[in-house]
Amino acid sequence: MSNTILTRALVLLIALSMATTAFAGVLPDAGEVFVLTVLVLSGLKSFVILSDYLGLRQAPTFRGGFTAFLVGFLGLAALLYALPFAM
Amino acid sequence: MTDQTSVLDELPGDLMIWVLIVSELLVFGAGLLAFLGMRAMDPAGFAADQAALNRVAGAANTIVLVTSGYCAARAVNAFDHSLRAMRLWLAAAMGFGIVFLVVKWYEYAEKARHGIGIETSDFFTFYYLLTGFHALHVVAGLIIFALLMRWGTHRNLEAGAAFWHMVDLVWVLLFPIIYLVH
Repeated sequence: MSNTILTRALVLLIALSMATTAFAGVLPDAGEVFVLTVLVLSGLKSFVILSDYLGLRQAPTFRGGFTAFLVGFLGLAALLYALPFAM
Repeated sequence: MTDQTSVLDELPGDLMIWVLIVSELLVFGAGLLAFLGMRAMDPAGFAADQAALNRVAGAANTIVLVTSGYCAARAVNAFDHSLRAMRLWLAAAMGFGIVFLVVKWYEYAEKARHGIGIETSDFFTFYYLLTGFHALHVVAGLIIFALLMRWGTHRNLEAGAAFWHMVDLVWVLLFPIIYLVH
């Protein structure tokens, strides 16, 4: 991966991490909205690491597979979070 | 003679490191889902215990680890041009990795001062097992980098950096679930 892409990935990862921290500070008890936003931000950070740090940008088939795993995992995490509300 | 290409040829680096990455993601993923499953049975208790965690330290460690991953990736790129540059980037990656462990040690010491241990509650059992197992991977990554400093080849360096990015990836998924979801 080129140095330019790596630097852009680092800037994006730091921005997403700071957004997570800021969001946690501003809306610490916002329930479902807070949790969904934090999980989506985590998914975006994971996507950047897979694409640019691990180089899957050059392997679209595998990037698709890992993205499907991430979406499934984070979706299941959100469902488990919401489970007590349904009981 | 036909030119046979496989979809596996797309993958950057060795196939075996990807087998390891998938295995590790499955292990940590199962651990995190088990944590959320336990939380579903006692959300109030888990939220009370989670309040004792140091979110600032966890968030700072996310930035430390992704910056370390950047340095590791730059070390791979530098290898073909300059061994000295490769070693400097690798040393920077190791430096950030050590900062991660120091912050983690501070967090554990803070808990110990308050009498919190692995058997305090289900929340803290999962907290120590998942973050402790992750920290052991950071230690393993540092040892791999130390070996690569002396005996690195491009192939080995690429595999070592991929291991380190997997450690990054696991933390990025672990941090919000353990520290933030309540």
